[in-house]
Amino acid sequence: MRSHKPILYLLFISLLIFSMAPAASALSDDDKACMGCHESDLSMTFGNGETQKLKVNQQEVEKSVHGMIGCSTCHGFTAENHPKRSYKSKREHSSLSARECQKCHNALDNPIHKKLISESATKTICSDCHGFHAVKRVRELAKGNQYCLTCHNRELTVHYKDGFKENVQIKEDVLNNSVHKNLSCIDCHVRVSAESHPVRDFKTKRDFSVVMAEHCRRCHFDKYSKTLEGIHFKALSQGNAKAPICTDCHGTHAMASARNNKLANAKKCEKCHSAIYAIYAKSVHGSALIRENIEDVPICSDCHKAHDNAGPHTADFRVSVPQTCAGCHAKKEIMQKYGLSTRVVDTYLQDFHGVTMKFYKQYGKTEKQIAVCIDCHGVHDIMKTKGENAALIKANLVKRCQKCHAGATAAFPDSWISHYEPDIKKAPMVFFIDWGYKIFIPFMIIGLVLQIILHMWRYIVNR
Amino acid sequence: METTNNEYIKRFGPLRILEHWLNAGTFILLVVTGLSQKFHTYDLSLWIISVFGGIDATRLVHRYSGIMLTVMTLQHVLVASFGIIVKKWQPSMIIHLKDFRDAIDNIKYYLGLSEEPARCDRFDYKQKFEYWGVVVGGMLMAATGLALWFPILVTRFLPGQLIPVAKALHTNEALLAFLVIIIWHIYNAIFSPEVLPIDTVIFTGKISKARMIHEHPIEYERITGITLPRHHEHHGHEPEPEAAAETTTTTIT
Repeated sequence: MRSHKPILYLLFISLLIFSMAPAASALSDDDKACMGCHESDLSMTFGNGETQKLKVNQQEVEKSVHGMIGCSTCHGFTAENHPKRSYKSKREHSSLSARECQKCHNALDNPIHKKLISESATKTICSDCHGFHAVKRVRELAKGNQYCLTCHNRELTVHYKDGFKENVQIKEDVLNNSVHKNLSCIDCHVRVSAESHPVRDFKTKRDFSVVMAEHCRRCHFDKYSKTLEGIHFKALSQGNAKAPICTDCHGTHAMASARNNKLANAKKCEKCHSAIYAIYAKSVHGSALIRENIEDVPICSDCHKAHDNAGPHTADFRVSVPQTCAGCHAKKEIMQKYGLSTRVVDTYLQDFHGVTMKFYKQYGKTEKQIAVCIDCHGVHDIMKTKGENAALIKANLVKRCQKCHAGATAAFPDSWISHYEPDIKKAPMVFFIDWGYKIFIPFMIIGLVLQIILHMWRYIVNR
Repeated sequence: METTNNEYIKRFGPLRILEHWLNAGTFILLVVTGLSQKFHTYDLSLWIISVFGGIDATRLVHRYSGIMLTVMTLQHVLVASFGIIVKKWQPSMIIHLKDFRDAIDNIKYYLGLSEEPARCDRFDYKQKFEYWGVVVGGMLMAATGLALWFPILVTRFLPGQLIPVAKALHTNEALLAFLVIIIWHIYNAIFSPEVLPIDTVIFTGKISKARMIHEHPIEYERITGITLPRHHEHHGHEPEPEAAAETTTTTIT
């Protein structure tokens, strides 16, 4: 075996030489001539005073997909015939250079490129996204969202047919702070992919938003199906483009979960319903939320529902009001914090109005009107019934009674003994009458039954 | 009052019979429509209310039945007053001290402490109790019912607190009236062994002589002029009422 050793050494050395050979230099002689100058710190000053360093990173060029085509292919001249040029600005220089790309790459094949280039020769240029000396294949630019952000991290303008212009620049930190940070752009922007970016031609930004909001149901189908029952969807389908869609309340790229922020949720409704919000803000519920940050109070969606908000003017909404209020006012754990009675709902349900309402509901006669909570207490303007406002509220109450009981006078509201069991202080007469009968009825009935028994006994004995 | 034949004595005219029919019908309607509102959570109440066509219809029937009972009570009071004052009728429903004594005597008799039941006139204390219950109770129900029907009108002149008072009176008095009628009146008119299967006097207007002598001996003596023998004068042992009545009937014939 000893005799083979020199041959093995020879083989090893030759392998080493071969493997090093391509790394030595991939540049052509022409390019080496260019690099002869552009290796050093040259710079160029533009008409507007901007300067541009002219040093070229040779490794970058070699690694790029254009590494083998040579400097002159793009720059149009060699070291021997280097013209002296001057440009007004850095941008003018870049955009003129980028024109060279189209010698080989028909940018007009790609609709979004075509659109960008046709809009302005300088606003968006090839090298903005693809780089210049370090030019990369589209797929190598980036993965996932970074791919989209390669272009969309800069100012890009969308022109709608109605003349509105929108900047579609997306900030990466906005995406990263959203609840959708783990989604890809194309999860929502379904018609766009790494391969194709169609140009879409919307009349208005609203039209685009409406179409985009349709994609939310791909994940949130339960919420979407609820909206089908909602008044907002109905308005939208009847052609009211102002009717809110998913993104109006939930936002778009900055989508944040507002589940735990009641005030933020209420504010969403304010965007359109500002007059009602202003009234709500002064009410016992609104002021507790806004001024005292008490989150036990209801916000808009607690009473109206969010996705399946069928509107407050339906008969069903009216008859469900006591149930809606009972959602909090019959719950001890909430009410005891504020010293409120939990009996308000069942005392109502046992009263004339409540009983009537129950029957209307039971027999589907919901179109018939009978006083529910809101008719006396108000809706968005609900006030405390105790405290400094008590006298004023009582004085105003008769006006509310008059809505149904035409001609009611100041003494009329007293005929309602409020949400209390009649007790010795609040309604002494009722209290004593109830107790009197509670004693008298059994006394009378037991007496009569005893007489009947005695009578029968006497009759039997006599026979 | 006159004897029609040997067996029966005329007790009520057709107007009193009609009055009872109307009173009974109206009362039943009021109880059915009223108690189903008072006990509105029970299935039977729900069924009754649905039969009447809903809560509004039930209330309507209740209110107009109430009007009916009010009118009947008022006409009765007017007719009775007119009859007593102008036509010099016997004020037979007036409560006397004797009625309380009769009640005590009867209970003593039931308990075996006395040998003879109370001797009553045209109406005994049980009948007076029911009669005045219907008249006074009816007026209370009418007054409180109207207050509940027209609270706006009432509170124009009177304090609002009276409306819940009216409701408390109306609802409790209703329950009392219902229980008295269903227990006391129905026992005395149907289930009492003395009248079983039913006391027909208020429907036919005539009463058998035997019952007359047994239940209304004072009236019998007054209209016939006969003095009935007192039981304890004849018998050493406790008499059987039925047998005693038979004896007296034969005496008359």
